[in-house]
Amino acid sequence: MTYPNDDEFLYALSSNQAWASYKSHQNPAFFKTLTNEHAPSILWIGCADSRVPETTILGLPPGAVFVHRNFANIISPTDINTAAVIEHAVVNLKVKHIILCGHSACDGARATLTDSRAGGVLETWLTSLRVVRAQLASQLATIRDDHTKEIMIAEKNVEVGVAVLMANSTVQEHIKSRGLEVHGCFFDISSGRIRDLGLGTRMSTRRAPSTNGTAETVRGKHAQLVFREGGVAGMEAR
Amino acid sequence: MTVHTRYRYELALCIPTHPPIPASPTRRPDLRLLAAGCSDSNSSSHSNPPPPPPHHHHHRPTFSSSSSSSQPPSTPTSSEPLAMPEEDITKYLRQSHARVFEHNRAWVTEQTKKDPEFFVKLSAGQKPEYLWIGCSDSRIPAEQITGLQPGEAFIHRNIANLVNNIDLNVMSVIQYAVRHLEVKHIIVCGHYGCGGVKAAMTPQDLGILNPWLRNIRDVYRQHSEELDAIPDESARYNRLVELNVIEQCRNVIKSAAVQQSYSKNKYPIVHGWVFGLDDGLLKDLNIGFEDMLAEIQKIYNLEDS
Ligand SMILES: [Zn+2]
Ligand SMILES: [Zn+2]
Repeated sequence: MTYPNDDEFLYALSSNQAWASYKSHQNPAFFKTLTNEHAPSILWIGCADSRVPETTILGLPPGAVFVHRNFANIISPTDINTAAVIEHAVVNLKVKHIILCGHSACDGARATLTDSRAGGVLETWLTSLRVVRAQLASQLATIRDDHTKEIMIAEKNVEVGVAVLMANSTVQEHIKSRGLEVHGCFFDISSGRIRDLGLGTRMSTRRAPSTNGTAETVRGKHAQLVFREGGVAGMEAR
Repeated sequence: MTVHTRYRYELALCIPTHPPIPASPTRRPDLRLLAAGCSDSNSSSHSNPPPPPPHHHHHRPTFSSSSSSSQPPSTPTSSEPLAMPEEDITKYLRQSHARVFEHNRAWVTEQTKKDPEFFVKLSAGQKPEYLWIGCSDSRIPAEQITGLQPGEAFIHRNIANLVNNIDLNVMSVIQYAVRHLEVKHIIVCGHYGCGGVKAAMTPQDLGILNPWLRNIRDVYRQHSEELDAIPDESARYNRLVELNVIEQCRNVIKSAAVQQSYSKNKYPIVHGWVFGLDDGLLKDLNIGFEDMLAEIQKIYNLEDS
């Protein structure tokens, strides 16, 4: 049979062949080790958007990140798909971090800005974002720029999603028993950078804001991550 | 509390980008941080990683972090979990999280170096050719194993790459990808050695995972004759992985979005693939899309007549 855009299809398959031989060349034991071990420390929940490939933007190798991606990274308490992922990642794989990551220019947030209907199952799925939009109605009314509005909705969506994660009984249990951390992040497509929104476990355990300006700093080679009072974290170049 | 030592083997790997990649010794020095962040409890070693090895071609089995860290004991060749003093747990977790930001930053620098306009173009919008439905398993990052760049594949990943007809989550992804993004190919990709498939066949009450994994038991039931005849257990699981992929392809084809788009545009085409963890290769199961569609439509036809 013939495929439309045959080239692209064959490209993906042949790319894979190249990748596999490259990895084996680098390290003959690569795939053997990969077969035997599965102990990711991060559960990533992000948007299905093609511009947010989690493992690539995190710069991590295969084996590091357990992944769930859905349309507009919505965490709905009764969604069994997400619930199954969380259960398996937290209970069986014992991940140390859950990162819920939203992003700028999200098609889901954009679709929510107008009243035009997406129809079908999509319409039902996006109801969560419509709730977010309604919550932000007064703030959105003061903004003219659509991109800013989308970002505002997408960020709030992460906040709501983190709240659902924090209310999940399995997650709660593992925060208590072994220090599981829950984070809310935001990926800015126009710069490629991820921001910590200072939500989740860091938020709930933080001390009351004080005026002495204390901050905890974690240093890396290229940058440092600073956790400030009030649950605010930021990247700073070094 | 235990700490995994698994990152040590990853030291020997380059972070894959777009294959085929020339094995360049000059790129991706940041791997050091990966190790530093994971094996050290001492944050000072984080800012002072040991010098990089001269090249990336060979397996580097050891990575000494003991010089800058007194604990936890660093035994790179051991696969035993390490015990970690209580007071270091918080610090460890924080570093592990910080690693994410460090690597992200390094990736940004690299992309911008290759193409200064990269992120500007990316933020203009997406027009992916593929929808990828794969397993959540961390060892199968879709973009890396297929060499697809950011912007090229819309991705849904769940436990055992299931496409359940009443799951609004996956069905929304399919609808958006087909009707709005107009993807040309939908790939359902399973993998041998899938923990979800194995768990589904284990007699055990798995709570909220029960209803999800029941779909796999249903696949087994539909093919029990063939599967029961396979004496070797791992061969039987591998065949179940394949049959599961084929069944999920069928579920994709049952959707109104796919049927309507195909009759109008002759796309998307649905493919069933399986990834082999032991060799890194993708296997096309050649599901025979057109025949499968015709078969499905005898009962599941959702085209408006
Ligand atoms: Zn999005
Ligand atoms: Zn799997």
